[in-house]
Amino acid sequence: MTWIRREWTPADADEWTKEDWYAIVVSPLAYILLMLGVALSLLLLPVGFLVLGLGILTTLLMHWIIDPKLKVVSGEYEKKQREYLEALERAARWKEDRGE
Amino acid sequence: MPAKVGPVSWKLLAAEFNDGMVAFGFLDWLWVGVYLFIMVGAGVLFYRLGRRGESDFFLAGRGLPWWLPAASVYATHTATDTPMWVSGVIYRHGLAGLWYSFFAAWCAISAFVSTRIFRRSLAYTQAEWNTVRFSGLGAELLRGWMSGWQVFMSMFILGWVGIAMGKVCQYVFGWPLWAGLVLFSSICAVYVMAAGYWGVIMADFLQGVIAFAVILLVSLWGVVAAGGPSAIVSRLAAMGEDGRLNPFAFSGWFTGDFPIAWFATMLFIALVGGFGMGTSIDWYVEAQRIQSARTVRDASYSIWWGTALVLTRNSVWAVAILGFYVLYPNIRHTAEYEMAWFRIGFDFLPAGMVGFFFAGIIAIHLSTISAILNLGAMYLTRDLYLHYWKQTASERELVWVGRIATVLLLVGSFFYGLMMEEITSWLIFALWIMAAGVWLPNILQVVWWRFNAWGYLASWIANLGLSWLVVWVLPSFGVLPELPDYQQFWVLMVLGALIYLPVTLLTKPDDMDHLIRYYVMSRPIGWWGPVRREAERRGLLRPVPAA
Repeated sequence: MTWIRREWTPADADEWTKEDWYAIVVSPLAYILLMLGVALSLLLLPVGFLVLGLGILTTLLMHWIIDPKLKVVSGEYEKKQREYLEALERAARWKEDRGE
Repeated sequence: MPAKVGPVSWKLLAAEFNDGMVAFGFLDWLWVGVYLFIMVGAGVLFYRLGRRGESDFFLAGRGLPWWLPAASVYATHTATDTPMWVSGVIYRHGLAGLWYSFFAAWCAISAFVSTRIFRRSLAYTQAEWNTVRFSGLGAELLRGWMSGWQVFMSMFILGWVGIAMGKVCQYVFGWPLWAGLVLFSSICAVYVMAAGYWGVIMADFLQGVIAFAVILLVSLWGVVAAGGPSAIVSRLAAMGEDGRLNPFAFSGWFTGDFPIAWFATMLFIALVGGFGMGTSIDWYVEAQRIQSARTVRDASYSIWWGTALVLTRNSVWAVAILGFYVLYPNIRHTAEYEMAWFRIGFDFLPAGMVGFFFAGIIAIHLSTISAILNLGAMYLTRDLYLHYWKQTASERELVWVGRIATVLLLVGSFFYGLMMEEITSWLIFALWIMAAGVWLPNILQVVWWRFNAWGYLASWIANLGLSWLVVWVLPSFGVLPELPDYQQFWVLMVLGALIYLPVTLLTKPDDMDHLIRYYVMSRPIGWWGPVRREAERRGLLRPVPAA
């Protein structure tokens, strides 16, 4: 059991897991730190550079957590996309869809 | 965010120009001419791609790498009125004012939740998503309502942003009010009609780069004009205003103009809203960018990074406005200090650069106009024409309908723009209704399988009445005190739930086959247990392994 899973099967990646929740928590933090860090750094306040640095680290951490999963989710989904698009067009044009 | 353009502010700007402080030389006109040539050129260049079919005209073939829609997110959300809004809150509150623009942070969670779910649904529009998620008559009613509302809103926003440009041109060049509105929106419509979303996205990328360069240049120029960063800090301290450097300078728990209760409500609305679709008015524009991304991953990163740019851009503006405050600390009129960033540009930039600044203003303007023109045309074409009018339309026909829809929206925006003074106040109220009372239903439709189309429709209808009651009618009769807007939000949320939750539970759930199809395709987050179990029973999904 690892804190952050780095290898994913397509079926596992499609589920909502703790890695998604980590990203959900870290992402707003990154926004807050980047926004405040840029403003305070432009004023040349030392705390600004610290906050900006933390913002960059938090952003990198967020990508490190979620990117392996997103890659697998995307790869698997794109294989099915054509079939889904055909179903969407049938629905938009009021054609009966008997497929599951 | 609603624009903050008032007649007084434009008169103040006019005073600057009419005093001869801004004069356009050859170099200035050259900047503007070259810029407009490049924008229209983008339309001509991508004409062949845009005409290939509906998917290309409205979604660039769903093949864009993340950085293109990200640039578009950034460019679209940098409108003519945005620097006024940011200038106003920063001048009033100091760095704490940054939180007023933090509503954009709904994308922090949306990028990894609702963006992912919406991209997997493949719906062109939020209206179409209604029929992917819900089923039966209720879903069709929702799609019709949503598409009509979005066409109306597109014309309204086009008129609003367009007339702001009309006022700028009236006071800069002495043109009649309609001239700036008609000229720049029409130039924009040329490349939107020619290349559709391909033209929008490519122009947005260029406009985003130009706008960011101009914002950075003008803002840093303003900081230097105020004596530099250290001088701004020390002068604020000398004025006894160093609290303006504190982003958390609260005025109390519930009192003053920056209470903690407001801050907590804002964070809640902005961040938790990311679980839903439509919790921000910006969602409808972003939804198009999400679907134009080539993969789910590209969609997530485009939304995240586009918004990161928006938030850091606000920070750059904020520092410039602090510099402006140090230079002009005693401005009382809101309309006057909202012009702070424009004044920095026109007052302090050297000769020859004013045209560059004006080209930047045009870039900021056209990126919003082009995005909304194409978005409104997509609702008219995909949801109204194709779905309800002519289901056998060919791809070629749909592209032409898209172009005609673009013209209709353009002409409609001229009328809206010119009557804007009269209708603005109640339309702002309509926008507030959208934000407050349907916020929770916009989340429930994503996270709760049992929430159905009738419940969602009920929330919209209930909210129309409740908003009037809570905001205007009951306070005027003394039944309810006049509440601050953040308290109105909570009251409207609770009262609305008392209506749409019973409606939901007293009407039938959506068709299980339909829900399963949606679930397997989109894999939504939240309370979908019965649908999940049925999908597993049918062998469409494997059971979740025990942790």
